[in-house]
Amino acid sequence: MTRALRMRWLTPALALLLAASLSACNNFTPNTIFGAHSEFGHSVDLLTRKLLYLGIVVFILVETLLMVILVKFRDKDGNREAKQIHGNATLEIGWTLVPAVILAFIAVPTIKTIFETQAKAMPNALQVEVIGHQWWWEFRYPQYGVVTANELYLPVGRTANFALTTKDVLHSFWIPQLNGKRDLISNHTNYIWFTPDSAFAWNGFCAEYCGTSHANMRFKVFTVSPADFEAWAAHQKTNAIGSTPPAPAVAAADSAKAGGAAVTTAASAKGTTTVGNGAAPPPPVVTPVMNVSDTASSTYPRAKLPEWVIPKTPTPAALTFDASAEGDAARGGALFKTAPCIACHTIRGVPTAQGILAPNLTHVGSRTTIAGGLYPNDMKHLELWIKNAPAMKPGSLMPLFGKAEKGDTPGVYTDQQIADLAAYLSSLK
Amino acid sequence: MATTVSLPLPAAHTSHKYESGLWSWLATTDHKRIGQLYLYTSLFWFLVGGIEAGIIRMQLYGPNGHVVTAQTYNELFTMHGTTMIFLVIMPLSAAFFNYLIPLQIGARDVAFPRLNAFSYWVFLFGGLFINSSWFFHAAPNAGWFGYAPLTTRPYSPGLNIDFWVIGLQILGISSLAAGFNFITTIINMRAPGMHFMRMPIFSWMAFITQFLIILAFPIITVALTLLMLDRFFGTNFYEVSAGADPLLWQHLFWLFGHPEVYILILPAFGVVSEVLPVFSRKPLFGYPVMVYSGILIAFLGFGVWAHHMFAVGMGPIADSFFSITTMLIAIPTGVKIFNWLGTMWGGSLRFTTAMKFSIGLVALFTIGGISGVMHSSPPSDLQQTDSYFIVAHFHYVLFGGSMMGLFSGLYFYYPKITGRLMSEKIGSWHFWFTAIGMNLTFFPMHFLGLDGMPRRISSYDAGQGWEQNNHLASYGALLIVIGTIFFAYNWFSSMKSGKVAGNDPWGGATLEWTIPSPPPDYNFAVIPKVTSRYPLWDRKSPRLSSDVPHGSEPEGLAEIALAGQKVGSVQVPSDTKLNAADAHPTASALGIMMPTPTIRPFLAALSLGSVFIGLIMHKNLPIMLVAAACFVLSLYGWLLTPLEPEHH
Repeated sequence: MTRALRMRWLTPALALLLAASLSACNNFTPNTIFGAHSEFGHSVDLLTRKLLYLGIVVFILVETLLMVILVKFRDKDGNREAKQIHGNATLEIGWTLVPAVILAFIAVPTIKTIFETQAKAMPNALQVEVIGHQWWWEFRYPQYGVVTANELYLPVGRTANFALTTKDVLHSFWIPQLNGKRDLISNHTNYIWFTPDSAFAWNGFCAEYCGTSHANMRFKVFTVSPADFEAWAAHQKTNAIGSTPPAPAVAAADSAKAGGAAVTTAASAKGTTTVGNGAAPPPPVVTPVMNVSDTASSTYPRAKLPEWVIPKTPTPAALTFDASAEGDAARGGALFKTAPCIACHTIRGVPTAQGILAPNLTHVGSRTTIAGGLYPNDMKHLELWIKNAPAMKPGSLMPLFGKAEKGDTPGVYTDQQIADLAAYLSSLK
Repeated sequence: MATTVSLPLPAAHTSHKYESGLWSWLATTDHKRIGQLYLYTSLFWFLVGGIEAGIIRMQLYGPNGHVVTAQTYNELFTMHGTTMIFLVIMPLSAAFFNYLIPLQIGARDVAFPRLNAFSYWVFLFGGLFINSSWFFHAAPNAGWFGYAPLTTRPYSPGLNIDFWVIGLQILGISSLAAGFNFITTIINMRAPGMHFMRMPIFSWMAFITQFLIILAFPIITVALTLLMLDRFFGTNFYEVSAGADPLLWQHLFWLFGHPEVYILILPAFGVVSEVLPVFSRKPLFGYPVMVYSGILIAFLGFGVWAHHMFAVGMGPIADSFFSITTMLIAIPTGVKIFNWLGTMWGGSLRFTTAMKFSIGLVALFTIGGISGVMHSSPPSDLQQTDSYFIVAHFHYVLFGGSMMGLFSGLYFYYPKITGRLMSEKIGSWHFWFTAIGMNLTFFPMHFLGLDGMPRRISSYDAGQGWEQNNHLASYGALLIVIGTIFFAYNWFSSMKSGKVAGNDPWGGATLEWTIPSPPPDYNFAVIPKVTSRYPLWDRKSPRLSSDVPHGSEPEGLAEIALAGQKVGSVQVPSDTKLNAADAHPTASALGIMMPTPTIRPFLAALSLGSVFIGLIMHKNLPIMLVAAACFVLSLYGWLLTPLEPEHH
C-alpha cells in the first residue's frame, strides 16, 4: 500500500474515532458512575479519576512513542540500516522501576479507600435488607416494619446499611450513581453502606448474570428528605387495605399528615427540570424533591419522575387486551382473595394472601413500576402483566392467567376479570 | 562439505499407505499436519463465534432489541465466550505450538506424536460436542464462567449446562495431553547447541504457556467434576439448599480462569516477539528480560485470581492483597511493551501485514493493560466490574492482544505452511478493517460501562444514554466482518495464486526458515547445530545477529541427548545446504525414522468422547460401558503398535 493510500485511510479512521469519543461526550448519561451522589461514590470517584487520568497519560506516552518509532524508523527506500542493539540494562531497569513507582501511587490510596468503604456502618444507620430473587428485588426495612419490592426509598443525609442476601442464584446490587456493586451470594450475608447526599430518582441494576431475565432485573431508587422518608415509611407500614377493599385513601392521608412533612417544591422543581435536558450528571439537589401533598401515599410524585427512570419497554405485539373491559376494584378485591395470586403474594390486611415467593403487593399501587422495573405501573401494563407475565418478561416465574393465552400452564381469567384484578391492585396505594 | 549423518537409528522405510486422502489426515502423527488440523478447526470456530458476536451486536444495536429472545441471547453470549476462548484462541495457539515448536527447536516431531494426534481429536470432539447443543435447543446459557448455583440442577434443569460442563471436561483433557507433550518436546528435543537462552522466543512463550496449562487445567477439571457430580449424581458441592458455599466455584474457577488469560495471551506475545525483530532487522530487545517477564507473568498469574471477585465481599484484607498482586503483574507486562518498542527503535521497519498486526497488538494491548490497572483497584473496580467497561477491557486484551498477535502469526507463517505468500494488498485491507472495526466496536464500550450499562444483558431500555455507543459498536462489528471476509478470500486465493515463498521469504532468523516451505515430513534432513539465538542470521546476515551472544562450541560432532541421556552424536555440517535443498529426498532415502501413522489415537478420542455422550444421554450405562471398553482397546492397540513401520 502506498503512503498516499495509507494516509487516505488513516485520516477518516482517526476522524471516526474522534467522532466516537466526542459523541460520548455529548451523550446524556443518567447512569454515569461519575455521578458520585454519596460519600461512597465520592471516594470511589476520586480514586477512579486518579486511575483514569494516570491511565490516559500512560496511554498518550506509549502510543506517541510508538507512532514516533513507526514514522522515524520506517524503511522507506529499502536500504535503511538497522542499528544493532540487543538490549540495554539501564533502560530496562528504568522501565521496570518507573511503573512500580507509579503503581505505588495508586496502591496507597487504593488500600486507604478499601478500608474506608468497608468499615462497619454507623450503628444508627438505616438498615435495609436487600433480598435478590429471580428476577426482582425485595427490600425490607426492619426498623420500620416495611416490606416492598423493586423500589427503594432512602433518606438524604442518613447512612443506609444494606444487608444483601439472595433467595436463589447470585445477583449484584448496583446503583451506578450511588454505590459500587456488591454481590448477593447464597448462604452469605454481604454488606455495603453509603449516605446519599442529594434527593433524586435513580436507576438500579442487577449486575451479576442470574439467568434468563437478568437484563430485566432492575429497580428504582428514590432519595428523599428525611421527613418525606418517614412519611413514606409510616404509610408503607399501614395496610393499604382492610379486610374489605378498597379503603386506602383515609389511611394514606392520615399517614401523610402524621409524617408532617410538608416541604417546598420550588427548588426541587428547578432541580428536576435543569437535569432533564442537561448534558452533565444531575447536580446535587439537597432540597427535597418530593411533596407529600402531591400524593396520598407519600410516594415520589410521578409527575416529577425524571424521564430515564420511567420504563419504556414495549409490550409484546402478540399480547392484546380487550379495551372495553372496565376494571372494578371491589370486584377485583373479592376475586383476589381466592385467586391463585395468594399462593405467592402477600397483601397485608388480606388474611388469605400470605405468599412469600413473589413481591409483597400491600402497596403495589404506590409503586411507579412493575415486573422488576421493566414496565410502568399503570392499568394497561398491569392487565397485560397478569394476562401473560411470561410473554411480558422472559422466564418470568409468574404464570400466565389470561384465558386462551398459550404457555406452559392454562390461563383461567377473562380480560374482564383481569381488569378487575388490575383495578384492585392499582387501588393499593 | 561434510554431510555425513551418523544418527544411531535403524534405517526404516516410511509407510506409503497413508500419504494422501482422508485417511492420511485421520491417521496422521505428523506435527505439521496436526498443526494444520488445529488451524483449520479453530478458524472454523472463529467464524462460528464471530457469527454469534454478530447476532449479539444486532440485538444490542438499539434499545429493547428483539432480534433474538432473551433465552437465545444468553446462549449466544455464553457460547461466544466459550467458543472464542476454548475453541479459537487456545487451539489457534495450539496450531502454532504444533507447527512451530519442532521447527523452531530443530526437531523432527514432538516427543509423543500419537498423543499429539489424540489431543487434536479430543479437541475436535469436545468442540463438536459442546456445539451440538444448538441442535437440541439446549446451548449452554450460564456464561463462560458458569457461576454456581445458577449452573446447579435446580436453577438449570435442562441439558444446556450438561453440554457445557462435559464439553469443557473433554477440551481440558485435550489441553492437558498437549501441555505435557510440548513440555517434554521442548526439554528434550532441542537441537544441539540450543540451550534455553538460545531458544526462539515463541517457543519460550509456548513453553511457559504449557506450564500454565498443566497447572491451571487440573483446577478447572476439579471444579467441573464437582459440578458434574452435583448434576448427575446428586452430590452437594454447589447445592445451596444443602448449605453449599457458591464461592467455592468462584475461587476454583478463577484460580484456573486467570492463568487462562495468560494462556490466551502469552502465545500471541511470542508471535509478536518473533515478527517485530524480523521486520525491524534487529534482534529482540532484551531477550532475557522478555523471557523472565514471561515467567514472572505466569508465576504472578496464579496469585491474582480473586481480582475477578472484588464485588463478592471478601473483606478488606483479601481485597488489598489481590489488588497489590494485580498491580505487580502490570510491571512485567509493561516491560514487554517497552521492550517491543525498544526492538523497533533504531530498526529498519518494513510494514508487512504480519508486522502491522504485531504493531496492532502493541498499540491495542496497551489499552487493555491500562484499563486492567484500573480494575486492580477494588473500590474503582466495584464501579467497573460486570459492566461494559470490563467487556471493553478484555476485548482489548483478547482481540487487540491475542487475535492481533495470532493474525500476525498467520500472515508470518502462512508461507511456511503453504509454500506461498498471502497477498499483502488484501492483507492490508484485512488489517485496517479489523483494526478500525475493533476499535469502533470496543472503544465505545468503555463509555457504556462508565455510563452504567451492565454486562450480559439481552436488552436495555431506551433513554439510558446507551444508544449512540451501542450503534457505534455494532457498526464496528460490521467492519470486522468485512475484514474477516478479506482474510478468508486472501487465505484461499493465495493458496493457489500466491507468490512462491521459498525457504525464507521474510529474512527470518530462526531454524524454521532454514528448511523448505512447506517442510518435508522429517523437517530437517540434518539436525542443525545452533550457536546463537539467530542461527539463520548467523549464516545469511551475520551483521544482524552480531550483537547477540554467541557460543564458542567447536564445529563438528554434536551430541544428541534424549531425556538427559546421550543417545548419539551427529556430524554437524558446516552449512545448511542439505536442509535448504530444493529436491526433497524422502525420509527413508535419508534413513530418517518417522513415527508411523496410526488411526488408534483417533479411535481412542472417539470412544472417549462417546463415554461422555453416554453420560449426557441420562447416564446411559450400556453406551458408556461399550465406549469405555473401546477406549481401553484402542489405547491397548496404540501402545502395542510399533513406533517404526513393520517390514513387509
